[in-house]
Amino acid sequence: MQKKMAYSFPDEVLEQVFSFIQSDKDRNAVSLVCKSWDEIERWCRRKVFIGNCYAVSPRMVIRRFPEVRSIKLKGKPHFADFNLVPDGWGGYVLPWIAEMAGAYPWLEEIRLKRMVVTDESLELIAKSFKNFKVLVLFSCEGFSTDGLAAIAASCKNLRELDLRESEVDDLSGHWLAHFPETCTSLVSLNISCLRSDEVSFSALERLVGRCPNLRSLRLNRAVTLDKIANILRRAPQLVDFGTGYYAAELQPDVFSNLAGAFSSCKELKSLSGFWDVVPAYLPALYSICPRLTSLNLSYATIQSPDLIKLVSHCPRLQRLLVLDYVEDSGLEELASSCKDLQELRVFPSDPFGAEPNVSLTEQGLVAVSLGCPKLRSVLYFCRRMSNAALVTIAQNRPNLTRFRLCIIEPKTPDYLTLEPLDVGFGAIVEHCKDLRRLSLSGLLTDHVFEYSGTYGKKLEMLSVAFAGDSDLGLHHVLSGCESLRKLEIRDCPFGDKALLANAAKLETMRSLWMSSCAVSFGACKLLGQKMPKLNVEVIDETEPPDSRPESCPVDKLYIYRSVAGPRFDMPPFVWTMGEAVRILH
Amino acid sequence: MELQLGLSLPSTPIFPFKMLDLNSYGYELREGLGPFGINVNNNCGSCSSSCNSSSSGGADDGGGGTKTRRLLDEENRIVPKTLPLLFWTNQRPNDEDEPKDVDDHSSSAIFKNDGEGLVGWPPVKAWRKKVRRRVANVRAAVENSCGGRASSSTYVKVKMEGNAIARKIDISLHHSFESLTTTLMRMFDISDENGQKSFKLTYLDREGDWLLAEDVRWRNFIRSLKYIKLIRSRC
Repeated sequence: MQKKMAYSFPDEVLEQVFSFIQSDKDRNAVSLVCKSWDEIERWCRRKVFIGNCYAVSPRMVIRRFPEVRSIKLKGKPHFADFNLVPDGWGGYVLPWIAEMAGAYPWLEEIRLKRMVVTDESLELIAKSFKNFKVLVLFSCEGFSTDGLAAIAASCKNLRELDLRESEVDDLSGHWLAHFPETCTSLVSLNISCLRSDEVSFSALERLVGRCPNLRSLRLNRAVTLDKIANILRRAPQLVDFGTGYYAAELQPDVFSNLAGAFSSCKELKSLSGFWDVVPAYLPALYSICPRLTSLNLSYATIQSPDLIKLVSHCPRLQRLLVLDYVEDSGLEELASSCKDLQELRVFPSDPFGAEPNVSLTEQGLVAVSLGCPKLRSVLYFCRRMSNAALVTIAQNRPNLTRFRLCIIEPKTPDYLTLEPLDVGFGAIVEHCKDLRRLSLSGLLTDHVFEYSGTYGKKLEMLSVAFAGDSDLGLHHVLSGCESLRKLEIRDCPFGDKALLANAAKLETMRSLWMSSCAVSFGACKLLGQKMPKLNVEVIDETEPPDSRPESCPVDKLYIYRSVAGPRFDMPPFVWTMGEAVRILH
Repeated sequence: MELQLGLSLPSTPIFPFKMLDLNSYGYELREGLGPFGINVNNNCGSCSSSCNSSSSGGADDGGGGTKTRRLLDEENRIVPKTLPLLFWTNQRPNDEDEPKDVDDHSSSAIFKNDGEGLVGWPPVKAWRKKVRRRVANVRAAVENSCGGRASSSTYVKVKMEGNAIARKIDISLHHSFESLTTTLMRMFDISDENGQKSFKLTYLDREGDWLLAEDVRWRNFIRSLKYIKLIRSRC
């Protein structure tokens, strides 16, 4: 019966149907229906997402999906953002580019996150893909402006060049001039991470002027305030704009020029940049504020009163990134003005100071949770918290999907009761049934993990630091969180038992990171031997782990599932555990 | 502490939110050996040695009740959510469970990073940290307060010619070319005698010029240093 149905549609029809199916999950489901669907689907899959570049080899991907046009790869573990992954760990994209250069001549899009990209890779991209359109390098490193020049010069149909938060060796600002005069296809250009002062501004102006489809432009710090008006006038169609330095001596003509330029951008909905802000220039934005849906002021060192004034002009705001200079009072204003707010991120202005330098407490977050009914995503750095506040937040906002709280001092208890914050976070996981991402902080016992395991059924990513009492905590999470994909832990007393008892769980997850915990070298070896589908990597920069007794804890541990087997590009301080592999060095 | 490892997770919450009693989990007591014939005990040392022993031990569930038998019963085995290499016993997890030398290692786990305490904490991206420091400098200067941090990042990127991987060192830990070169030799795995002769230390200064380190004084080197590169000397 089923066979008949499979053959009742010619392949081309099925292909056409499948072309409407964009999500990876759905595509994967389609390929599981039957062999012929799998076969048809794999030939028409155009987009591939690989969440861990070491989970599969380039050849395997190419073999299965021969006609890919768009690839997204992620490399280093998330904790690399906080300097926990030593330089040289891995995440090199060159092997991928080299294989794809031959196999995917029509590749159009490459999106990378936390990978090491060299100039050689960029040059290879420029040379190999004739129809290359999109390059997004998110938190990448290892390349210079020379590589960018190659991309600029060769990619005739380049639409997107986005270098967000990457580390670029800024050798020369003249790479921009390598975009040929014939290049008019740019839709998105993000050079905000470039640090040098010598961006070739005239080349930039000309480039912007000849790209009528440019929708998103994020400049780097070097571009001074007086230059913004010129750029904006050449691109009034911009939807997303990132300024450079937003500081200058207040001059009326500069101000009115700037205000006029902004007001001519009728589509502008998103602003960012704002390094070193002079508050007097903020009113230049007032004409576009009513349309703004996204505002990133997380580098702007302006104080609460100025922030309040600005935010009160933005009733449509959906996304706000800001420093804790906003203070509780600013967040209260936000709660009353911005009823469409969906995402809030508050960053610390003085993360290493011992004393609070601003009046930002749990009250601000409570106010926003009460006043903003659409709030889904929170990242909040503060210095004190209470269970009562967390319970209130949870009850106010059961629609939260991302909740990342960082109480700056590790192991800080509830400031009112001096108790652990288990109950508060427990309320968050219990009430927020769609919670997908959670970061814990403060004083926490095994109880918080018990709650997470019991209630966090949709939890996909969990970040834990300085928490828990025993292996029971880790066991609760690994055995209870059914949807868990990524778990990252640092400085917790979790050891061998929970890990070994839940070894099979690790095959259902993308990765597990544990650093400064209590997992012994012996347990790592055992895990590596018994679980061939996992790569168990021990990282130790001081000495090889086998130079100490097996019961000694390893410094850092990164476990991820892989069908590609152990990798061979590891630096001297990473060891892969395994039976067949021995202790690979 | 009693704990049940079931093949499937219970559908109703084990812990109603209000009940918070450490002593009454309502879980089954699980004793005996699991499919891998491994017994958990307090001592981590013997734990690892017993782990290395043969895992062909059968399903010997000495003290368990019917539920334990179900776990080990091959026919009733559904796809296990957890395939344990160890089973929990009713040992109460306590300090004795920790490997004895965890204290020795915990101090080494907390490295000083630019004198700011823990590495990677608070979890602010390095990208932001740099801005923050500049901002702190600006504010400190403006407010004329002496509490502001004036130090800029002391980590410098180092590359070796022929090696695609860049490393970083904390330049503030060094006070002479000697100590710097020793560290670099160790970092890039260059053996002493030949190494020192075959590599030259060069650096990129603030003005964008590549200079030989041997031509300058340490103090000037430190002040204007941006990147370090080890190049092979051709002599």
